[in-house]
Amino acid sequence: MKTIVKILAAGLVTGSALSAVTVMAQDYPNQPVTIVVPFAAGGPTDTVTRLVAAAMSEDLGQQVVVQNVGGAGGTLGAGQVAAAANDGYTLLLHHIGMSTAPALYASLPYDPMTDFAPIGLVTEVPMTIVARKDFEPATLEDLIAHVKENGEDITYANAGIGAASQLCGLLFMDALDTKMTEVPYQGTGPAMTDLLGGQIDMMCDQTTNTTSQILAGEIKAYAVTTSSRIAVLPDVPTMAEGGVENFELGIWHGLYAPAGTDQAIIDRLAASLQKALTSETVGTSFAELGTYPVQASEATPAALAQKLEGQIGLWAEVIAAAGVSAQ
Amino acid sequence: MDLLSSLALGFSVALDPINILYCFIGVLLGTLVGVLPGIGPTATIAMLLPITFTLGPETSLIMLAGIYYGAQYGGSTTAILINLPGESSSAVTAIDGYQMARKGRAGAALATAALGSFFAGTVATLLLAFFAPPLARAALNFGAPEYFSLIVLGLLVSIALAHGSILKALAMIVLGLLLGMVGQDIYTGTPRFTFGVRELFGGLNFVAVAVGVFGVAEILRNLENEKEREVGVSKVSGLWLTKDDIRRIIGPVLRGTALGSVLGVLPGGGHILSSFASYSAEKRLSKTPEEFGHGAIEGVAGPESANNAAAQTSFIPLMTLGIPAHPVMALMIGAFILQGITPGPNVINQEPALFWGIIASMWIGNLLLVILNLPLIGLWVKMLSIPYRVLFPAIVLFACIGTFSINQNIYDIYAIAFFGIVGYLLIRFGCEPAPLLLGFVLGPLLEEHLRRAMIISRGDPMIFIERPISATLLGLALLAVIVAVLPSIRKKRNEVFVEDD
Amino acid sequence: MALNASRNDLASGALFVALGGYFALEAMKYDFGTPFRMGPGFMPVVLGGVLVALGVAVAATGIGKPDAEAPPAWPWRGIALVLGTILFFATTIRGLGFVPVVLISGFATALSSRRNSLLAALVVSVGLCVLCLLIFVVGLGLQLPWFGPWLRF
Repeated sequence: MKTIVKILAAGLVTGSALSAVTVMAQDYPNQPVTIVVPFAAGGPTDTVTRLVAAAMSEDLGQQVVVQNVGGAGGTLGAGQVAAAANDGYTLLLHHIGMSTAPALYASLPYDPMTDFAPIGLVTEVPMTIVARKDFEPATLEDLIAHVKENGEDITYANAGIGAASQLCGLLFMDALDTKMTEVPYQGTGPAMTDLLGGQIDMMCDQTTNTTSQILAGEIKAYAVTTSSRIAVLPDVPTMAEGGVENFELGIWHGLYAPAGTDQAIIDRLAASLQKALTSETVGTSFAELGTYPVQASEATPAALAQKLEGQIGLWAEVIAAAGVSAQ
Repeated sequence: MDLLSSLALGFSVALDPINILYCFIGVLLGTLVGVLPGIGPTATIAMLLPITFTLGPETSLIMLAGIYYGAQYGGSTTAILINLPGESSSAVTAIDGYQMARKGRAGAALATAALGSFFAGTVATLLLAFFAPPLARAALNFGAPEYFSLIVLGLLVSIALAHGSILKALAMIVLGLLLGMVGQDIYTGTPRFTFGVRELFGGLNFVAVAVGVFGVAEILRNLENEKEREVGVSKVSGLWLTKDDIRRIIGPVLRGTALGSVLGVLPGGGHILSSFASYSAEKRLSKTPEEFGHGAIEGVAGPESANNAAAQTSFIPLMTLGIPAHPVMALMIGAFILQGITPGPNVINQEPALFWGIIASMWIGNLLLVILNLPLIGLWVKMLSIPYRVLFPAIVLFACIGTFSINQNIYDIYAIAFFGIVGYLLIRFGCEPAPLLLGFVLGPLLEEHLRRAMIISRGDPMIFIERPISATLLGLALLAVIVAVLPSIRKKRNEVFVEDD
Repeated sequence: MALNASRNDLASGALFVALGGYFALEAMKYDFGTPFRMGPGFMPVVLGGVLVALGVAVAATGIGKPDAEAPPAWPWRGIALVLGTILFFATTIRGLGFVPVVLISGFATALSSRRNSLLAALVVSVGLCVLCLLIFVVGLGLQLPWFGPWLRF
């Protein structure tokens, strides 16, 4: 047994030592920083976090450890960070769900606005409106007409209550003033499987998951949800081009510390985040995901606070109008 | 590119000394961590994933494949040695594997698991190389109605898991199905049976349930009669397989491989059924079904082969379509993306070296696993000579820490205690835990697919009969029930009462 | 024994009825839905009902067939100490930290076997504590303090 432990320990120490680097002169950080991801390992948010964490740890001179605390639509992990010590060693990387939770959950154990100190925006992943490859409409205009005409006969997959894919669908139905039949899945992975197999008609999902299938011609893309076309999918029009105004939606990610964290530490982390976002590895990896790092001016506490406040207001309306609740 | 040159390309990548080294380290670490009680393959991979980030794409994914196979074998080892399955498939291995271990045949059980897995892995790797794209296409014909029918078939066939009363086995399956429904309903967001505890919104943790009903319940059983006997293993007889053993495992390994290969391709839950289905098949086919549950080597050989074959072929939807079949595959996708590769239909064309390199390294990983683990069997078996009074506190603690480390959720630990006592009571009253675990993993799938099928058909249940694959599966299920019920009705006429099936 | 029935069958049947009843009754509070859109209550109500029926059937088969063997003694000490330890572990792991919790848990569980003396239990718990620290905290990098916030002054 002892030998096993030794081999085990030795192997793991060598593994983790590879990422240990220079020591900073400053006091903070003098121990590893933990970023909590409120979702399971391997998901898109986890991937984004790990890429950013690796780049930040180079700058901070301390290991930045990613910890997955999944469950209850991301509210468990967020709640844990809200209650954590505000010493700058426990941070949260959360996506758009940070702004939808107050509208979805009646009893949220934290307040996204007052229990966190924003550090900065990280990225905003565009979404795509896609359909099975033999779906009749040819263009975005055709699609809009088709959906208006057939309404509930069209099945629309989403990843469950409060998921970005559901929110996107709600906005879409709201914009077209019609209803489709929602088919919830346990995450967008299985939903994509059924879309590929032609079991369902439509879905709205982030480019992270759809780009490679679109490029391979396995599914049809009708629109991107950004204000301008995106580089990896130059042929896919925006919603505005199809005549649907004000339909902008991205899965934005932000980095937060617990409220009351020292301003100097927040500034240090924001500077580190900005630096990480300009690194080449992060840039190219994000591009592979079909997204891009935000500008340095957006990776700031002020920009994130503003985004969060605006989004909380927006989703409160959309979700209340759709009558959705996760209790 | 034709197949041979593709495979040659793959092996040229996989046989790079650096890649072999990392594959070996992966297998070793996977085995060592997977062997810890309470830590199954998913948890092992999640924990070891970060080590691979610093390596190049091929090397990192090859190491990851090694970790996966190692973790899976490590999980089976724990199931056999101390009756603690770390994931649903090794719950089946635990049934007869643990009984073999108690009879001093742990060595033979572990060797069977290693060899069966290796054979199944080899066959499934070839399948993956030859038929990946068409198989993945075929799997896409499975929609919600087909999966629902498949799960119903699986549940009905699996009554054979029990070696006692059929009624009790059915009740345990239904109880498992119900337990699987704890947590937030994905269709409406309604939290069910959560007592308002947010930590339960995601449902009960499989490891907590398994550790409770298998591990803790077993410990309590062993503490019952402490005065009379020291619990533990009878004298270890031979580490290796006898000629008779080898003769007995050939059929189960072949059938398990075939079953597992087919089920593994289905991304909506096929792999979960593979080991259960293989166990049921072996028990039905066996001339001595009464041995099952008391240390039948076929009950280890079949499910272990089926499980490994399914593990291998579940890479097919991932590598050709970019869709994950189960949590481990989702982790793999994460690893692919971190390496700058978006898994999808294009990987095979854009990154042939990577695609074929991984396929080749799967086989090499399986080979290394056998080379590494056959000598280790002696070490594992020696662990059984640790006195039980020292071993069981270790099991309890490892299980608590291991379970806690997965999600940092203390309710998972409370769940261990709850299922420990419930499991103990049920086992004491003559019910077996394996059907409960099967129900538990299939419950959410059963409900999800049923409700989805009904939404798609707009409330028309005929959808299950109108779609040919679904209708065939339901027909088979009906047949399974008839076959199961007929002999017992006949028997009932002849005898006053019969407890055993 | 005066009872002309299998205690095991009666007891397990009762357990199934109780658990099935709980699930079915609790699920009545949830939306049952329609066949087109089944609500969250649909499956649990149906399955809970099935479990109650199976429980009754299990109990019924035991009538007239007393158990062949006398039931084994209840391991009260084991139940109390093993389950108690697990609950203790869950409630204190965040507050007390890794080392104290593992030491106390290891000691208590070891004592649930009558074959372990106080000294043996102590040795087992210290050994386990070191082993677990090496594997989980040092080796696998588990994010837990050695001594938790409750022990800091």
